[in-house]
Amino acid sequence: MGILLFITVLLIAACGLIYELIAGTLASYLLGDSVLQFSTIIGCYLFAMGIGSAISRYIDRGLAYRFVWIELLLGVIGGSSSALLFLAFAYTQGFQLLMYALVVIIGILVGLEIPLLMRIIRGRYHFRDVVAHVLTFDYLGALGASLLFPILLVPYLGLVRSAMLFGILNVGVALWSTFLFANQLARAPVLRGISFVALCALGVGFAEAKKITIAAEDNIYADEIILARDTRYQHIVLTRFKDDIRLFLNSHLQFSSRDEYRYHEALIHPGLSAVSVPRHVLVLGGGDGLAVREILKYPQVETITLVDLDPEMTRLFSTHPMLTALNQKSFLSHKVHVINADAFPWIDSNTDSFDFIVIDFPDPTNYSLGKLYTTAFYKAAARHLSVQGLMVVQSTSPMFARDSYWCIAKTIEDAGLRTYPYHVYVPSFGEWGFVIAGTHSYSPPTALPQGLRFVDAKGLAALFQFPPDMAPMEVPANHLNDQVLVRLYDKDWKDISH
Amino acid sequence: MSPSRRKFLQSTGAALVGLSLKTDQPMRGSFVNDSFQQGHLLRDRASFPPPKQKLKIPIVIVGGGIAGLSAAWRLHKKGFKDFILLEMNDQAGGNSRWGENEISAYPWAAHYVPVPGPKAVYVRELFEELGVLKDGKWQERYLCFAPQERLFMFGRWQEGIEPAIALSQKDREQFQRFEDKVHEFRATGKFTVPMEIGLSDSDADLDRISFSDWLRQQSMDSKVLRWYMNYCCRDDYGATSDQTSAWAGIQYFASREPEEKGPLTWPEGNGWIVQRLLERVGRFVRTGQMVHRIAPQKNGVSVSAGDTEYLAEFVIFAAPTFIAPYLIEGLAPLRDFEYSPWLTANLTLDRIPSSYGGDPTWDSVFMESPTLGYVDATHQSLRTHIDRTVWTFYWALAEGSPSENRQLLLNREWSYWKEAILHDLERVHPEIRKCVSRVDIMRMGHAMARPKPGAIFSAEHRNLRKTAGRVLFANSDLSGFSIFEEAQYRGVMAAEAALHKMYSDAPR
Repeated sequence: MGILLFITVLLIAACGLIYELIAGTLASYLLGDSVLQFSTIIGCYLFAMGIGSAISRYIDRGLAYRFVWIELLLGVIGGSSSALLFLAFAYTQGFQLLMYALVVIIGILVGLEIPLLMRIIRGRYHFRDVVAHVLTFDYLGALGASLLFPILLVPYLGLVRSAMLFGILNVGVALWSTFLFANQLARAPVLRGISFVALCALGVGFAEAKKITIAAEDNIYADEIILARDTRYQHIVLTRFKDDIRLFLNSHLQFSSRDEYRYHEALIHPGLSAVSVPRHVLVLGGGDGLAVREILKYPQVETITLVDLDPEMTRLFSTHPMLTALNQKSFLSHKVHVINADAFPWIDSNTDSFDFIVIDFPDPTNYSLGKLYTTAFYKAAARHLSVQGLMVVQSTSPMFARDSYWCIAKTIEDAGLRTYPYHVYVPSFGEWGFVIAGTHSYSPPTALPQGLRFVDAKGLAALFQFPPDMAPMEVPANHLNDQVLVRLYDKDWKDISH
Repeated sequence: MSPSRRKFLQSTGAALVGLSLKTDQPMRGSFVNDSFQQGHLLRDRASFPPPKQKLKIPIVIVGGGIAGLSAAWRLHKKGFKDFILLEMNDQAGGNSRWGENEISAYPWAAHYVPVPGPKAVYVRELFEELGVLKDGKWQERYLCFAPQERLFMFGRWQEGIEPAIALSQKDREQFQRFEDKVHEFRATGKFTVPMEIGLSDSDADLDRISFSDWLRQQSMDSKVLRWYMNYCCRDDYGATSDQTSAWAGIQYFASREPEEKGPLTWPEGNGWIVQRLLERVGRFVRTGQMVHRIAPQKNGVSVSAGDTEYLAEFVIFAAPTFIAPYLIEGLAPLRDFEYSPWLTANLTLDRIPSSYGGDPTWDSVFMESPTLGYVDATHQSLRTHIDRTVWTFYWALAEGSPSENRQLLLNREWSYWKEAILHDLERVHPEIRKCVSRVDIMRMGHAMARPKPGAIFSAEHRNLRKTAGRVLFANSDLSGFSIFEEAQYRGVMAAEAALHKMYSDAPR
């Protein structure tokens, strides 16, 4: 009987740890910032265990009966915790409240387990053996769970089914205990009946886990979420499907790691390579550091000033290993100065001049962003161009938003600049357009930096050719006081979706 | 004051579980910029201590609103620097005063200038000097950003204030007929800004009837058309269309070009212009100086303010004209000058409330409301991310008699008006109480001149408009209504007249 008893200890220890790991993992998936999530969850959990242990001294009768009940409750609550949390995230506002409530309840119950168990079996062994054996198996169980969780459970079962499985084990312990402590137990048949019902319920949950996850994830995103964060300025979501990392800002796709090199090479090199000695470069927007990565391919560049609204965004792309691998740690270069500011007031008050200006804002989907595509804005930007300077503007799709694209080109022209529109194909975006602008004439460069994957000097001239379905349109320029672009953009994308 | 324990537990408890309890914001605020106490000293003929010093100064400007500041601007520009401007309030600007908090600058009253037409030469000259008009083009950043205005009707927002949705055939026909009429009036060239240039006695008949009566004569009885006409009168004159002269109602529409892009506006409203003017002439301005006596003398005018008696050759009286009989010895009481009581409030919003669809605009008006809606101070910000803002709420107490409304304005407490304002906003922003942290209210008993029938063409108005004698009147109320261009025009004209007289009267 001895070894069976201690396997019980091992199992309940494993179950407790699994519930805690599931809460931590889910919170990191859904909310991001895994350090914060794991720290606070482990802290709450251990603290709740302390409460449980403290409470245990007030239980002095029916120890075995109460122990079985605790195992039953743990099995049901812990087993369904993952499913509950997924659904709460997808359909309610109360995810964090529920998560911490579950962590605390589970922690209290787990805190009760070991003291009660030790007191139940205290008559059978010497006290020092009880302590030694129970704690040994407790820690062994924890080791087992912590190894199983990342290696087998998460990859093969997923979070919902892992929780269900351990819930079943936990209820199994309850059922098993009714036999183990039969001589100390009243109403054992009732407890067995309840255990059986709980086992059935969790079994159904285990079998139907897929449906639960689909219901929840359909309401979230298609791919695995590796980071989701609400900053003061926007909702940042990073997803990963195999080797494809995608960034969404306010649910608009910003890049896909599979083809972002096409976008960023096309954004930077046709313009920057045409500036004979580019020393100072300004990037407006581009908080992902991917444009900066391309600019760093020019050794002559001495300073890169990047102005992005959201400090969270530039911090993420300076520190998150997966993201710094993408931008090749571009933000860590000593040439780069990151300024977190609203671009229009910044450019309006700053007086520095630059040899190349990259304007890479989100599409003009609303009147706030529309301000960054006006003659007033381009005039303010043009004041920062050095004598030989050029600027390049991300200008949405000339294919899907043809009016908008040519409206942006016209707006830059009305701001008193010569414009050179071009386009490239980026699979995850479709046909995408840019405009190079300057006070002097531009011709495509004949040489480009080594090692580019997409843009090459021979093919450059062709980028400036527009086939008939993307050819220039007669559209008005965009001003602060009419914001025609936002209306055009809205219409363009509506036309497509109909 | 320490927060109560319960509150503390609530907030820390909420912080622990990562929730914030959604309760109404505690709301602070007060009445601000009250000036009626001083004004009432004059009305009640209080006695003032005799002056301690006498100063000789050729020109004294009384009143530091747009008219007075424009007179100062003109004198200064002509190279004349021997003058002083006395302002009763602690802040110059009059109806163009402004305020500022940690979120934004905001207006206290006048908040825009329509893009001036070719006849408003002095306004254009000023705007050229201020860089608002450059190489014949209006600076984009000073033109009101799009989307500009919206109207809440039938439970939804429409863009623009002129009703355009759910119009019947009859409504449309009458709007069209009105537009045609306005076009005819505009073509006569008699409705101009400033009004003095086009003003013609042949239109005096229009001034004798109310705008409502004129609309009735034209068989324009569409409810939405009438609502819009009434709104326009309340907005520009603080009076209903029953209380407004038909001439003034027509002037509102016929004096402006139909295709203008604008208006010109700034976060602090016309306070921006005041600040630019003060940069130029601020050193001539004395605030907190209430003039209590103006006495014409043999070779000049005596002006008493505080402990000083100024001996001037000419006085430019740019304060509201209704005060003049209480100050100027020998001036008969005025009968044809009537003013609308107003209330404006600046609301500090810690977050932007939702509404029933529709993009936020500069000016938001609600059809089923006695108020004029609100203007968003951060609309002209160049920032793309704005999570807090200031709204200026406008309420002309137009219905009923001005004197009774003035009593109401004085007698009711701050919380009464605060509740009335929030109640009005709740019809379009149900969660407004959760967003507003401060409501400051400014009460103005005599805010704007009211062009009641007969006023504009009255003998009183005509006489005071002539810049004759040593006291030159300059307030916009001489035109019959209070708008920026009229104030600026009259200020400039008074300055020109003073200079002209001074140099032509001088002994050779």
